[in-house]
Amino acid sequence: MKEEKREKPGNENSLAASNVPSDEEKLIELAKKGDKKALTQLVKNYEQTIYNFSFKICRDRDKAENIMQETFYSMIKHLNQFDSKSKLSTWLYRIVANHCLMQVRKEKHRQFVSIDNDETLFEEKYTADYSRLPTKYTENEELKKILDDAISKLSPDYRMIFLLRDIEGLSTEETAEASELSISAVKSRLHRARAFLRNEITRAFAK
Amino acid sequence: MKETISCKEVMRYICECLAKDTSSERCLALKDHLDNCEDCREYFKSVKLTIDCYQKYNVELPENVHKKLMDFLKLDD
Repeated sequence: MKEEKREKPGNENSLAASNVPSDEEKLIELAKKGDKKALTQLVKNYEQTIYNFSFKICRDRDKAENIMQETFYSMIKHLNQFDSKSKLSTWLYRIVANHCLMQVRKEKHRQFVSIDNDETLFEEKYTADYSRLPTKYTENEELKKILDDAISKLSPDYRMIFLLRDIEGLSTEETAEASELSISAVKSRLHRARAFLRNEITRAFAK
Repeated sequence: MKETISCKEVMRYICECLAKDTSSERCLALKDHLDNCEDCREYFKSVKLTIDCYQKYNVELPENVHKKLMDFLKLDD
């Protein structure tokens, strides 16, 4: 059976970029008091982004679905602890990031490329013809496979930072808060992750 | 004195300068370097394209998965 599609996702739907309703604080307060309608609305506001983000970490729809369920379960369970000092979105990113990392760490057989001290990341000067990218390139299955393969080699700790900062559009400070890392650690992981992915994709296109 | 940076430093600092803070001395030096170095311009472009590819690769939440979520959380749609 063909799956019905919900609203179109995209970077514009990321938590950082989403058009959060001005009454979000009211919704949170009502939800904390047990108002199910308010709670439902909060879940609906963020479900697409949480699902998409989980998929991007795990590269698997079933796992993304489970992580999304666990994330909202945690949100509901701990909502009273949310003090509004940070954005609800940043708080949710921290929850989903933890669930994603727990999921990936369960898969002990997985091997990732170590880039902790890889100076060669910044030595490579591969040249590839990026103009070969099809116009609607993310609809191209071959390119999707290249993107999947490249990011799957990257350790989830690095993948997380790349996705939070570059793809979801969080600031460096918000990324540090969501990942519970220092700002300098975020910057260091980000530039290594970018260099690694860029090198992998360039290599694939050079073939 | 005006800051200058090497090709290797360009690769390291692209991280900061792809962010919004493009007015810092280092980012201005990076821009200056890119204006005069074709190799680094190509590198910079390829990093931006890599990010762009991942930004556009999204999955949609299917309706049945939304319904399962509502059931799991015991919420009315």
